[in-house]
Amino acid sequence: MEQQFNNDQLTEHELESTPATGFRVIWREFKKDKIAMGSLIIVAFIILGSIIWAPFIDKEALMKISLLDEFAKPGENGFILGADQGGSDILGQLIIGARNSIVIAIAITVITGILGVAVGIICGYYGGIIDNFFMRLIDFIITLPSTMIIIVFVTIIPKYDVWSFILIMSAFMWVSTARLVRSKALSESRRDYVSASKTMGTSDFAIMFKGIMPNLSSLLIVELTLNFAGNVGIETGLTFLGFGLPDTTPSLGTLVSFANNQTVIAEKWWVWLPASLLILVLMLGINYIGQALRRSADAKQRLG
Amino acid sequence: MTLSKPLLEINHLFTSFRIKDTYYDAIHDVNLTLNENEVLAIVGESGCGKSTLATSIVGLHPPGNTTVIGEILYKGENLVNYSEDKLNKIRGNDIGFIFQDPLSALNPLMRIGDQIEEGLVFHTKMTDQERKARALELLDQVGIVNPERVARQFPHQLSGGMRQRVMIAIAIACKPRIMIADEPTTALDVTIQAQILDLLIELQQETNAGIMLITHDLGVVAEVATRVAVMYAGQVIEVAPVEELFRNPKHPYTRSLLNSIPQTERDHDRLQVIQGMVPTLTKMPKSGCRFAPRIPWVSENAHEVEPQMHEISPGHLVRCTCWQTFNFEEQETKEGVVQ
Repeated sequence: MEQQFNNDQLTEHELESTPATGFRVIWREFKKDKIAMGSLIIVAFIILGSIIWAPFIDKEALMKISLLDEFAKPGENGFILGADQGGSDILGQLIIGARNSIVIAIAITVITGILGVAVGIICGYYGGIIDNFFMRLIDFIITLPSTMIIIVFVTIIPKYDVWSFILIMSAFMWVSTARLVRSKALSESRRDYVSASKTMGTSDFAIMFKGIMPNLSSLLIVELTLNFAGNVGIETGLTFLGFGLPDTTPSLGTLVSFANNQTVIAEKWWVWLPASLLILVLMLGINYIGQALRRSADAKQRLG
Repeated sequence: MTLSKPLLEINHLFTSFRIKDTYYDAIHDVNLTLNENEVLAIVGESGCGKSTLATSIVGLHPPGNTTVIGEILYKGENLVNYSEDKLNKIRGNDIGFIFQDPLSALNPLMRIGDQIEEGLVFHTKMTDQERKARALELLDQVGIVNPERVARQFPHQLSGGMRQRVMIAIAIACKPRIMIADEPTTALDVTIQAQILDLLIELQQETNAGIMLITHDLGVVAEVATRVAVMYAGQVIEVAPVEELFRNPKHPYTRSLLNSIPQTERDHDRLQVIQGMVPTLTKMPKSGCRFAPRIPWVSENAHEVEPQMHEISPGHLVRCTCWQTFNFEEQETKEGVVQ
């Protein structure tokens, strides 16, 4: 009888207010933080815009050299943002370049995420020899001079395209995620609920990925978002150095590298400035979003 | 004495932990039998190995730095040698385990219903619908008023008592023959304690299961247990039916333990305490009676060199022979001298 009463009270209380959980906390955080909200809108706009617009641009026509249009100013000859040395449309290159950078960043983030989380949880859960083996492997990979090895790979692989680029990058970038996840999984695996699952006869696989992984989700969301911000710049950086995608592929890195030429950097600002700004805005924006996520994952830092 | 079938037999069990390259026995030569339809209480102070005994049975001890030697016989098979896979078939299905702190033993990000179904997924061939129905039935069985709503909730939305009820629902999901309850009521307040204990006993009587109840609360023991095993420093030092133990305790440790319960009718200025501390694992005496250092006024000749269990009346076993010469009066005069 008394319990019935308590129960009714509980229901009423619940209708009045429940603590915000999961995505509601994140949403509240974004509403409080104007910069993060602005970043979210701009980044979403750039990502969706470039991915939707890019397929409509004819790549062959875009990259065709026409000397008449060499360094056409913005607005001249129908080029909204002008043209580069080869007379190719800057706007078209910008969009395809942004699309490539973003798709590469997403692919690398997903691959390194899956690999890093799987290895991290397995190491943290089993510990012992398995943990030792993977941690020493990771230590080894971290000590390798990755940029130089990537450049070597790029030059020796015969049929070099976007996918081989993604795989080469991923081979080096999963280690930091794995380390981070492992440290959290290690403490999470020693909790009672894991033992409780074991006493029910649940298999190790189910405990790791159904039991422990959701409890790492706040860490994972933040880590993957910030990784994504870093990965957007990877393709651009390597292309700038001349070791990125093949020359025929339009890329933000190629546009920025036009600034190597003194006359271009001084007088033809429209060639390199938009691409630089785009990279800046994208990376800053994603970082601001990541920070808002990080705050919502930690109750002490929350604004909302 | 009723003749009941033994469910679980523990013979000469040694569980040792590695500390700096040496193994130390946390469980030393434990022999116990858990019978059908009984509540075997295991009592003892902190660090005496009660929980280690429980985790050894279900194989939850940390791998790598623990060794378990001896026999834990269930249906004639030794669980100690079982692989994880074989253990998984028994854990949850035949042996249910109830944890001390229900908040940490429930996955914070899993709905209650899913957690109850977890055991059913691996041990039964029920369909999704049947499992859902069974989960609700279990919640109802452990006395939760609104099962449909609770099944959809997360652990942090429940009160301590409700969480412990959920833990019990999880443990009994597959109708285990053996339930191991590791201090199931320690994290709860007194009124809820009584409810939870009643519930446990009620469920036990329905299924004729054997319960191994680990506790340090002698009040709980007196209320629910049928037999009691007293542990000290990794050894079982006295086993007896509950009434016999409370009325006629033999081992000096058991007697001191019972004597240290605060009682209102007795006219004492101070609370009775047992001198000294349980020796830590690394400082455990290698041989002889492990309780000897705490009753220094009993002469050394009274202890056995290799203390064994002696049956002094049917079902009543005591380790060592020092109980024959031990008495409290001596202790009190000794204390008088010290003060």
